[in-house]
Amino acid sequence: MSPVSVPELLARDLAGTVISWNRARTGPSNEVYLPVSPDELAGVTGQLAIHQYALIALFAAENFEGQPGTSLLYAFQKREQLIILICASPEAVPSLARTFPSASWFERECRDGFGTTFTGAFDTRRLFLHETYPEGFHPLKKSFDNAAVATGASVPKEEEYPFRCVEGEGIYQVPVGPVHAGIIEPGHFRFSVIGETIFNLEIRMFYKHRGIEKLAEGRTPTACLPVAEAVSGDESVANAVLLCMATERISGISVPDRAWCIRTLFLELERIVSHLNDQAGMLVDVAFPLGASQFAVLREELVRWNETLSGSRFLRGTICIGGIVRDVQNDDLTGLAGFLEVFRKRYQIGLRIVLSTSSVIERFATTGCIDRSLVVPLALSGPVARASGSPEDARVQHPYGIYDRYPVPVKSLFDGDVLSRFTIKSAEILASLDLIGRILKEMPTGPVAAVKPVKDGCTLALIESARGQNLCWLWIRNGKIERYKMRTASFCNWQALEHAVQGNILPDFPVINKSLNLSYAGTDL
Amino acid sequence: MVNALTCLFKKNVTEDIPVRNEETERIGRDLKAEIDSVFGRSLAVRELDTGSDNAAEIEINNLCNPFYDAERFGITFVASPRHADVLLVTGAVTRNMAPAVRKTYDAVPAPKYVIAVGDDACTGGIYAGTYAVLGGADKIIPVDLKIPGNPPSPVEILAGILALMRKARSCQ
Repeated sequence: MSPVSVPELLARDLAGTVISWNRARTGPSNEVYLPVSPDELAGVTGQLAIHQYALIALFAAENFEGQPGTSLLYAFQKREQLIILICASPEAVPSLARTFPSASWFERECRDGFGTTFTGAFDTRRLFLHETYPEGFHPLKKSFDNAAVATGASVPKEEEYPFRCVEGEGIYQVPVGPVHAGIIEPGHFRFSVIGETIFNLEIRMFYKHRGIEKLAEGRTPTACLPVAEAVSGDESVANAVLLCMATERISGISVPDRAWCIRTLFLELERIVSHLNDQAGMLVDVAFPLGASQFAVLREELVRWNETLSGSRFLRGTICIGGIVRDVQNDDLTGLAGFLEVFRKRYQIGLRIVLSTSSVIERFATTGCIDRSLVVPLALSGPVARASGSPEDARVQHPYGIYDRYPVPVKSLFDGDVLSRFTIKSAEILASLDLIGRILKEMPTGPVAAVKPVKDGCTLALIESARGQNLCWLWIRNGKIERYKMRTASFCNWQALEHAVQGNILPDFPVINKSLNLSYAGTDL
Repeated sequence: MVNALTCLFKKNVTEDIPVRNEETERIGRDLKAEIDSVFGRSLAVRELDTGSDNAAEIEINNLCNPFYDAERFGITFVASPRHADVLLVTGAVTRNMAPAVRKTYDAVPAPKYVIAVGDDACTGGIYAGTYAVLGGADKIIPVDLKIPGNPPSPVEILAGILALMRKARSCQ
């Protein structure tokens, strides 16, 4: 890490606190690392809260920078500014959940993983370790070797997860999940309902906790790529590129231009496929199969193009450290350009049919509103945040690869309802098509991978996946991954769902859920 | 009235599927014949995600899109295990999901079949031997057929269901 050059805005926002910038350093992604003591934490984070910084991640690492024990790292973001507070080996730290609501899940995650105590926390239930795990088990500690643990086969009634109790005249509970009625991933929704109207929703996740972060440790970055792709199947490219990007920045590897162009092509194809899937799903949920089928057909055709270009319908196994695994044939790229021209016209026809159908609009409009005031406190991102007035897109605020040369237009809407999210996704599909068109026209020639050794270090990398901002804090030591902290957009956006459904009717839950398009796998890790 | 008449006489808004995959059609025809002879008309399938990365679900969902339209081959995806003949299990079985997996399997009325879809469900895949998973689906419930792949394509899943039907018929 290099000595600090504190961005002017950041220095101004923190001017009121008694911290000395001498301690600060800058990381390879221009993130500022600032060590603070547990006593200083409240002052600094209070100042950050006043200036509307979002807590985008909070995680722990052991023996970081020679500090014995567990260090906590708090990552804050405001537009282009990224600051990471390092709180070294605290016995207990004050909980930030009352100032930064997004901290609640993060703190529970740290408590499960490392056994950290957060004083004054209002929610101390377990998060990713469910009741079958033994007491005092903290899998992310280095002292634990990744091997099977003895867990209970079932959960006794008195040890069941205590859901928030909502009581009152006429309120009844509707438990849903973890096994849902459709072909969907598992999670539990506890609705408190008055008549048909949802009064409260509590979400319980992490049924799919597969130990991704622990699994990555001790691997080389290259060996970790299949792990990154398994974070969430429909974000395979985004998460693989994210891991590569972090490694490349730490190691000072510059990726050839053609490789970045093809990576961007894959990233945008993945975005279009994901958005089409959402749009089709939203239309299924309001019983409009005609529109849904149009998008499902386009999506399947695009997935087949993925296979033609890369050999994988999910574009898996295409990204490597330093570039891409195999070059794409120019004939295929020409074919894709031709297909996408027809694709755009057919998509627009489909869109016109959908948007001129009043039964669809009536179900979409004013349903599942997410207020703009939730965006920063819950660290929401992606189309969900942009439909609620956020102007943020990691491709613009933290451009990576060729996005500074090929800027994407960021569109925001302000209603925050299902219709806004549907519309934002349509605009993003068309913007991605434009971007792909430009890249295909100006595709450079040359090598597609740079081979250079991996160096040690750490950095925080951000990427805009279809669902929003995914981040990865990667720490490489002796060429192996020491800590791989993944946080997908879904992790934060899930918490918006609890707010979005309040006051809506239970039958609208599926369409609201689909409009947020949350990955269970990407949250549970 | 005028509206109804315009709808009747105007050009069709539906269109033909641009790509017809002969392999899908062939597997589908065989599958229909097998399902008719084994289960009599239809096969009720319940998908159970025990810890996948969601790619396998996406491919199973794709079986319902207009390209594959698996329902015409006699496959229905049902909402409850109580209605199911077959469980399609995706993903390695996580410890958090294990109690629900057992309950779901027990809720399926006999005779019942289990198909493991994808590498993780077949063997535990990259997660085998780690703290958070028990392993493949067969670690916790009896598995009749395994369809490997990361994830297997919709055609491969159809072919797998066909293989199970042949196996079921030979055991009759």
